[in-house]
Amino acid sequence: MAGTIDPDAGISAAGEPITEAEALQRLRQSEDHSQQYYAAWWLGRHRSRHPEALPLLLAALRQRRPRDPGAGVEENAIARNAARALGKLGDASAIPELLAALDDGDDGLREAAARSLGELQATEAVAVLLRRLASGPAGAGAPRLDSPRLQEPCEAMLEALGAIGIAEPGVITLIEAFTAHDRPLIRSAACRALLQLSGEARWAEPLMQLLDHPQLQVRRAALMDLGAVGWRPALEPICRTLVENSLKLFALRGLVEQGEHHDAEIAIESVLNAMDSLL
Amino acid sequence: MDRIDARIRAVRQADSAQTLLAATAVLATSDHGDSISGEAIACLVEVLGFNNPGAAAAAVNGLIRLGPMAVEPILESLDPRNYGARAWAVRALAGIGDGRGLDLLEEALGSDIGPSVRLAAARGLGQLRLDALGEPLRLAVQTRCLQALVAACADGEWVVRYAVAVGLEGIGLADFNSEHLRPASRQALLGLSQPDGEAVPVVRLRAALALRRLDGQPSA
Repeated sequence: MAGTIDPDAGISAAGEPITEAEALQRLRQSEDHSQQYYAAWWLGRHRSRHPEALPLLLAALRQRRPRDPGAGVEENAIARNAARALGKLGDASAIPELLAALDDGDDGLREAAARSLGELQATEAVAVLLRRLASGPAGAGAPRLDSPRLQEPCEAMLEALGAIGIAEPGVITLIEAFTAHDRPLIRSAACRALLQLSGEARWAEPLMQLLDHPQLQVRRAALMDLGAVGWRPALEPICRTLVENSLKLFALRGLVEQGEHHDAEIAIESVLNAMDSLL
Repeated sequence: MDRIDARIRAVRQADSAQTLLAATAVLATSDHGDSISGEAIACLVEVLGFNNPGAAAAAVNGLIRLGPMAVEPILESLDPRNYGARAWAVRALAGIGDGRGLDLLEEALGSDIGPSVRLAAARGLGQLRLDALGEPLRLAVQTRCLQALVAACADGEWVVRYAVAVGLEGIGLADFNSEHLRPASRQALLGLSQPDGEAVPVVRLRAALALRRLDGQPSA
């Protein structure tokens, strides 16, 4: 769920308002990296339709370099923001370069690329995602020695598989293995993907249980996952869980907008009434 | 009174974020009986400026429970240099729904940088309790609320526009202004209910619900 509560975007969001022309100009120059970083974020946030936005973002994505822990990673930060923005532009011609980024050495970039490929519902990405996750919870899902992160950005990759929507047995079996992962955030992402792919209520149960988890971060993730799927039977548990109202509103928007895909006995008006009471 | 005094002391002597939150929650939910303590209100208002979100949220709830008598102390405490405290004050005034909060709510909806503050202001502008005012003044206040809400239909955040739809419904449903303000609130809601005026489906659906509710009411 790091994609929706994006620490990088938070910093950029505090920047001053600029125009589209200004954002394109800032991305075009290469002297000032922080300006490029902000511009890449801006173009995604505003889902720019300008013909230069896509080529400039692709160029920014190519600007990356092998990760060197001793040096600054400023250019990779730009590449990551560019990868995120390319998902929001909704243009499928970004898919080949995002696919290549799935095999980059920078796991933060792999994470951003996976999320964007999910947003673009890029069926071409399924094979690469399966390959990177094939070693399962004990391999791809094992903690790294040098950081609290996992070998692969499993959460983003599982969510991408759910968003892309290919419900083949091989995909389902692989994702199911991650529902037993040690970390609740990974279990949440796996259940979210399975719920999206199968529509089976048994995958909603663990998510609704995670809404009672003692850690706020886990409750937030489960909340956003249920919202992303649009699982309307979760309306009551979502209203009850101890999470900020602003996130609950976001999740309930998902129940309204995505909820038609499921056999929904809960009417839209009930969800809207719940949203009103959270304002 | 003694119990309230002890609870105020507990808030003022709290030495950690946790104890401040707990003590504020106790004071905020106290039953003040007939003798409301000005000190209790002042104490809750102070908590808005402590940079402790949990405690501030509890204090806001307490101030909303206290209602109109909390309005002046909140307005007097406003400090332009303390953004956080101001944001919580907007939430409290929006919840209390007193006409004296109008200036601050208008300004917050139009220019506050925090979406959650603009959201609270939009909600508040749609639910001011103006029954005690005479008709011309009431209409003047409601007209200003409506204008602020109409302008905020162009807010950049969907959740603020959602709250604007709810606020417009509130203005339109208040029956005493049905002849004067309902057409304008209907028109703004129509804009929010259509894809060429509003990109986010849930906002359109909420605006459409508001229109159905307005049309379901006798219109004069």
